[in-house]
Amino acid sequence: MTLDLDVRATFAAAGATFTLDVDLHVAAGETLVVLGPSGSGKTLVLETVAGFHPHEGSVRVDGEDVTDAPPESRGLGFVFQDYALFPHLTVRENVAFGTRYHDETRDPDALLESLDVASLADRYPRTLSGGERQRVALARALAIRPRAFLLDEPLSALDVPTRQRLRADLADVLADETALYVTHNRTTARALADRVAVVRAGRVVQAGDVDDVFERPETPFVARFTGANCLPVEAVPGGVALLDEESTEGFDAARPDGSTEETTHVAIRPEYVELGGSDATGEVCRVVREDAAYRVTVSVGGERLDALVREPPSGERVGVRLPPDKLITVRELGQ
Amino acid sequence: MATEHRSSVTLGRGAAVLAFLTVQGVAFAAAYALSHPTWYAGFALLSAAVAGYLYGEGLFGVALAALGTVLLLAVGLPLALFVARQDPGLVAEAATEPAVLRSLYLGVYGPLLAALFGVGFGVPLAYLLARGVRGRAFVESLVDLPLVVPHSVAGLIVLYGFGTGGVLPQLRVLGTLWGMVLAMTFVSAPYAVNAAREAFEAVDPRLEYAARSHGASRFETFRRVTAPLAARGVLTGGVLAWARSVSEFGAVAIVAYNVHFAFPLPVVGSEQTAQHAPVMVYNTFLSQGLAKSGAVAFLLLALSAVIFLLVRWLAYGDRTTTLV
Repeated sequence: MTLDLDVRATFAAAGATFTLDVDLHVAAGETLVVLGPSGSGKTLVLETVAGFHPHEGSVRVDGEDVTDAPPESRGLGFVFQDYALFPHLTVRENVAFGTRYHDETRDPDALLESLDVASLADRYPRTLSGGERQRVALARALAIRPRAFLLDEPLSALDVPTRQRLRADLADVLADETALYVTHNRTTARALADRVAVVRAGRVVQAGDVDDVFERPETPFVARFTGANCLPVEAVPGGVALLDEESTEGFDAARPDGSTEETTHVAIRPEYVELGGSDATGEVCRVVREDAAYRVTVSVGGERLDALVREPPSGERVGVRLPPDKLITVRELGQ
Repeated sequence: MATEHRSSVTLGRGAAVLAFLTVQGVAFAAAYALSHPTWYAGFALLSAAVAGYLYGEGLFGVALAALGTVLLLAVGLPLALFVARQDPGLVAEAATEPAVLRSLYLGVYGPLLAALFGVGFGVPLAYLLARGVRGRAFVESLVDLPLVVPHSVAGLIVLYGFGTGGVLPQLRVLGTLWGMVLAMTFVSAPYAVNAAREAFEAVDPRLEYAARSHGASRFETFRRVTAPLAARGVLTGGVLAWARSVSEFGAVAIVAYNVHFAFPLPVVGSEQTAQHAPVMVYNTFLSQGLAKSGAVAFLLLALSAVIFLLVRWLAYGDRTTTLV
């Protein structure tokens, strides 16, 4: 089952308008993660695809145009951020809710069993923990054998251990399913995505294979949002040279007439930054433990840089090396 | 330390309130027996001030408790005296009078019809308003309008609208049960609609989204999700509308002072004439004086108290089953 969307919609709320203009293709069996900050319109993308908001353009499920179909006829399974379980129904009744409207369904009890929540079948949602609720919500969507899944930050309200466990389970569940998954969490995106689309202010700013987007961000925004360091090119030893040898031509060609100065940056993921190197010396600002690693924030020539290392630095000053083959040039066109 | 202190206060609170109320009751009975109810008012003010002080709220607490008690006395003391000063003989006599019984029956039955009318047609309107329709502000104003229309004026409006020359030429409203129900609906519908609207607004739209995306049509979503979750609010609105109609005087007095209706009990014949209970109280007051009308009013008050308790129970009682 594939999912093609090309939707444009304008939303008005609290005196402001928000325009959504998104064009995405999800291949059969693929999980496409829409990654973006709060307020970027991620949830609106899902709700529009699900048929909750009027829009221009088209939504196709497996080639079939469902643009004008009501939500109940689109054959999509929606998993909500806050679970949206029916409070007046038991867990089993929740999971079985949609089965009467579909010909091909999965057995609710078998689903609860496979998601490790069979013992909760007769309880009401308000008595469940967040992780349990999300499993039930997932079972409810699975029960109707949707043609594709729409998932709205299903892990964001969970504590870290629960999130990690459920993320692994979710990866299993979604392995062969077509899914559009919305999140602001880059770790979740990297864990679950086949492909990623980064959105900002209602538009896709970069889309591609997950490793491509994380390793080769095209703009400072994508670089920072995917967790990379992003520094002005002059601040990086050898940065200007890198720019010169790599992409001078394309640069000039891409610069629009009349635009002001083009700011250009160099991005590098924190795991590639080497401490104790010889390129430059910086001041250690902060050391935060992240599981088995340390995130070390170093101030070099006025710029701040994160490094993800195994051993924390010993002194207050530390050498920093940026391996040239890991540096990526990113460009931001001035307005 | 803080939590310990707090819990010890909470534990004793129920008993303290009971003791306080008992003392108040005894004090009122004593003052009444000595024919000096004014003394009780003074006692109540003083004890409220002391209670305010004892709860550790200082002088500000004393001021709040004493000032609040003035209002409570203005409402509660007349009520207590009204009940205390009834002649049990007159009340018993009124309770067996066929005219009074017919009136009380009509005073419950008519309002019930009005409440059903208000809920039956008010629920669809309330749902539309809750989900936001164009012109919502205008419709809501129209719904709320009867709340500010003087009730005698409401009666005239009903007569102009539905009486001779009105929209239903075949329907006789003056002095009929229909007229009475229409007048009551006019004044009570806002309660039914507003309570239902608030109940629908309290249902998370995401639950409706979830139902839709799992295959339920709009009607199925309403039937299986929205309606069950809003049921308590709708019911509360219906009981409020019922209670409002039971207490309605002005509009009913104008449209249907004497009401011809079918009385179900065979004791006094089926076709009967009676007055809506508040109208009957007024009529008895004019023709037979304070004591006799007080007895009838006492019965009406007892009936209203039952309805009031029902409303409280529905609106504020145990809500673990539906609203989360």
